[in-house]
Amino acid sequence: MPNAIEFTQSIVNGISVGLIYGLVGIGFCVIYNASGIVNFAQGVFVMLGGMVCQALLTSLGIPLILAVVLTIPLVALSGLLMEVAIVRPMMNRGATLFAIILATLAAQIMVERITLLTLGDRPRTYEEFTSGGPLKLGDVAIGYQLFWILGCGALLVLALWLFFTRTRSGRALRACSQNREAAQLLGIPVARMMLLAFGLSAALGAIAGILVTPTQYTAYNVGTPFGVNGFIAAIIGGFGRAGGALAGGLLLGVLQALAIVVLGAGFKNVAALSVLLLVLLLFPNGIFAGFGPNAKAH
Amino acid sequence: MTGRNTAAEADPLLRAEDVSARYGHVQALQPTSLVVAEGEIVTVLGPNGAGKSTLLRALTRLVAGRGRIYFRGEDVSGLPTHKLARRGIVMVQEGRGLFPQMSVRENLVIGGYLQPGEVDAQMKAVFELFPRLRERLDQTAGSLSGGEQQMLAIGRALMAKPQLLMLDEPSLGLAPRVAGEILSTLGELNRRGIGILLVEQKAPLALKLAQRVYVISLGRIVAELKTDEIASYHDLARYYLH
Ligand SMILES: Nc1ncnc2c1ncn2[C@@H]1O[C@H](COP(=O)(O)OP(=O)(O)OP(=O)(O)O)[C@@H](O)[C@H]1O
Ligand SMILES: [Mg+2]
Repeated sequence: MPNAIEFTQSIVNGISVGLIYGLVGIGFCVIYNASGIVNFAQGVFVMLGGMVCQALLTSLGIPLILAVVLTIPLVALSGLLMEVAIVRPMMNRGATLFAIILATLAAQIMVERITLLTLGDRPRTYEEFTSGGPLKLGDVAIGYQLFWILGCGALLVLALWLFFTRTRSGRALRACSQNREAAQLLGIPVARMMLLAFGLSAALGAIAGILVTPTQYTAYNVGTPFGVNGFIAAIIGGFGRAGGALAGGLLLGVLQALAIVVLGAGFKNVAALSVLLLVLLLFPNGIFAGFGPNAKAH
Repeated sequence: MTGRNTAAEADPLLRAEDVSARYGHVQALQPTSLVVAEGEIVTVLGPNGAGKSTLLRALTRLVAGRGRIYFRGEDVSGLPTHKLARRGIVMVQEGRGLFPQMSVRENLVIGGYLQPGEVDAQMKAVFELFPRLRERLDQTAGSLSGGEQQMLAIGRALMAKPQLLMLDEPSLGLAPRVAGEILSTLGELNRRGIGILLVEQKAPLALKLAQRVYVISLGRIVAELKTDEIASYHDLARYYLH
């Protein structure tokens, strides 16, 4: 059995990676709410976030803050491109949501392969945002990057909340998700809102990728696990609820981390998928479906 | 006065020419023409499944349809729903179409999407018409009573400052007294200069309000009547038979 220190340590790590899952999960929700599409290319944005930031840092040698400021809009642009080049044309031609979802999966595989062919399969990483560390609390060591993830994650969640509840565009996006026709009748350009959703979602994925890369590595294929775990987080949270996805991500991250120390590294995904199956069996609308004013099955 | 100006004055608020719509192979609306003059309340009556909702949905482009639509003489046939709203054509949907999980306040604020600078003033005006909404501001729209929901739906549409307000069975599911209240509010709005195209099944109420009636059956307009020419509701009944 692991001791108390290992336990604490893994919970701390689980929270940070769970926050990343949560951000990816929110990305799923934003697009789903605006369009009804589950964007299986969500993980690609995480991968691109890490890769682009790494490329800017190492090959151009520009300062971190500048690299971050450049990476986010670049990756957001890839989200816009996906909407314009794949999703919008298919919708206009009356493709079923099923077909569009499949197309996002194809896009994910394509981007992954192109990255592999052009950049190779070498794992890449960059330094933590603050050097030194880890911070020692008794026998528990916490890497400084974890604080960055927690801090930025919390700020981002706050910013998203303000965006969705206080701004004209944020409210309009929520209106589209609750009643698309009514939104149109009130003058909201639903197509433009969908574009906004893809850009926002991609930006979220990029930030997740930028934050998490120093704690591990990035490579052409890291998108899939982040995408899958973010997807699970969103389902646990009751697909479509941003707050639920965040909570789902944290739960999933901690459970995975505990599974690793208790059962061994091989059980990480077993744990994640067991949780998913359990949730789907017991709470088909997500664990958090029954709570709060927004409780409603989609 | 230039010739163009006189022409504009003669133009009705809304003129639809041969507007039709189909769902797959079903032609739910045959080519239909209708007019709403400035300052007019026009009612569309007809039995269930006649195509009343389809008509309003085709006019607001929620369903793709053929035919031409002119707003104050200007051809707006090619405009999508949200751009029609910008011109002042707003519809209250059948079933109210509220954002059920949002508060009354948020529903109204989103209604003011096109008028972000005037949200507070418009909201005040809405509360004057429907004081009850002010008391329910922080309640979710889905938790309101049927009558309150309809008030909110109309109030929300007013936030967009419509010039032509279309309403699809606003009295549906309401007690007669509440339905009467809602419809008399429409009269008040009309006196303030908003043109109204009202779909109803409660003929007596609607006829009291409207200047003209179109009767629609099996996807086509079968009669156009002035309400003061209708001697009794039995006159109308024969159009319902098919
Ligand atoms: N989405 C749809 N797909 C296929 N057929 C439809 C659809 N909506 C309506 N219809 C059909 O079109 C016809 C007209 O429907 P519509 O809803 O316009 O009638 P209505 O006059 O509004 O009826 P009600 O008084 O019941 O609201 C009906 O036969 C209906 O079955
Ligand atoms: Mg109808």
